[in-house]
Amino acid sequence: MLSRNFRLQRAGNIKWLQNNYNFKNIAFTIDELIILDVSRGERNLERFCDHIKVIAEECFIPIAAGGGITSYEHTKAIMNSGADKLVVNTALFRAPNFVKELVSIYGSQCIIASMDVKRRNDQTEVFIDNGSTKVEMAFDEYIDRTTNLGIGEIYINSMDRDGTGHGYLFDFLGQLKSVVKVPIIIAGGAGNWHHLLEGLQHDLVDAAATANLFNFIGQGFPNARRQLLESGINLARWETLNYLDLKNSAATIRFCIEN
Amino acid sequence: MTTIVIIDYGMGNLFSIQSAIRYLGAESIISSDRNTIINADKIILPGVGSFYKAMENLHTSGLVAVLRDTVISRQVPILGICLGMQLMGESSTEDGVSEGLGLIDSPVERFDDRKSEGLKIPHVGFNTVSVSKESKLFGGLDTQADFYFTHSYRMKYTDQSYAAGICHHGESFIAAFEMEHICGTQFHPEKSQTNGLLLLRNFIKNF
Repeated sequence: MLSRNFRLQRAGNIKWLQNNYNFKNIAFTIDELIILDVSRGERNLERFCDHIKVIAEECFIPIAAGGGITSYEHTKAIMNSGADKLVVNTALFRAPNFVKELVSIYGSQCIIASMDVKRRNDQTEVFIDNGSTKVEMAFDEYIDRTTNLGIGEIYINSMDRDGTGHGYLFDFLGQLKSVVKVPIIIAGGAGNWHHLLEGLQHDLVDAAATANLFNFIGQGFPNARRQLLESGINLARWETLNYLDLKNSAATIRFCIEN
Repeated sequence: MTTIVIIDYGMGNLFSIQSAIRYLGAESIISSDRNTIINADKIILPGVGSFYKAMENLHTSGLVAVLRDTVISRQVPILGICLGMQLMGESSTEDGVSEGLGLIDSPVERFDDRKSEGLKIPHVGFNTVSVSKESKLFGGLDTQADFYFTHSYRMKYTDQSYAAGICHHGESFIAAFEMEHICGTQFHPEKSQTNGLLLLRNFIKNF
């Protein structure tokens, strides 16, 4: 099943996200949500988990969360905050046995391997540590190593396109094809619904993610989903929030104020 | 006021279910306490993980008898979700054979292996459920509705009269059952957008 995801970048303040981008509305327009702690320097796990909780209270889709995961205590706190999946990146390289352990504790379907990549001279390079350290390993070998850990999905982000809104880069997917049997989520570059369509129509892509704020403005997301469905993309369908007609409930009151 | 009790036996994500119920304007209690469970107006049995481990936890905490008594003798409505639904079956072949709560007579087995046909196990993601009978649980939903699944084991569909929703993943399996006040969903209503909220509201209001 095709699905769309998006991740939140530098969302230091959850209130800001809710106030400025009508997150509650967006939350009813996506299939899955990825929340990444992209703080530089020391991370505040407690605060991050509080943010996940605030989002999970009004967001009824699978939530994947990660950023700097290094210990079981860390993953337990994230999962207890309403997350359903864990996103690991740097640990894939630095602590492969720990990732294997996570797979055996939570199951493959729970672990998403995230890769930040750049294209240089027709080669694909992988970066870790929030994109600051280049991995000295051929892309093929890195993929091999990663899939052997038993992870359930791959989230691959083009650092060249990330934040540009110029569309996804697909160049590195060919190399993934022969080895990877798990779903691939493409990220980095989507600036409008045409880009999402390009992603979802690509043979090797199972899901398209976006963190680009242009997609979140006004009716951006609801419209994009409608256009994708009209273009024949097989996305899940559900009724609009109004259909629920949540009379007398706190949720309705909040929703009405926003409209 | 109706007391909805979410059973806490150390298996999985209770936060999301409680949030969904709160969103619908109701309140719930997360508990493993016998008295609280026996006196509940409605029970939700959640669960993620291994069947064997889950039953072990339920036995250790004495909840097997409590749940059976509450549901069978006291007729308290129950909704099992994902592993919670499977636990209500007769048995499971996960990690050897273990007995379930036996609230319905279906066994739980792993999906038939059809890797050669490109069938992926676990079955993860939104998939379409066909509502197969007059159902209070699916009231107000289309006869074809999408829900979020993540599982490797299933109850095979063999024309059971209590099957309320059927899903297809290489084979037909029970996506939801409803037998009087005894209900279960293999999918996660708390992760299935408005379709799931509607189903949860049906359970809260109509049972």
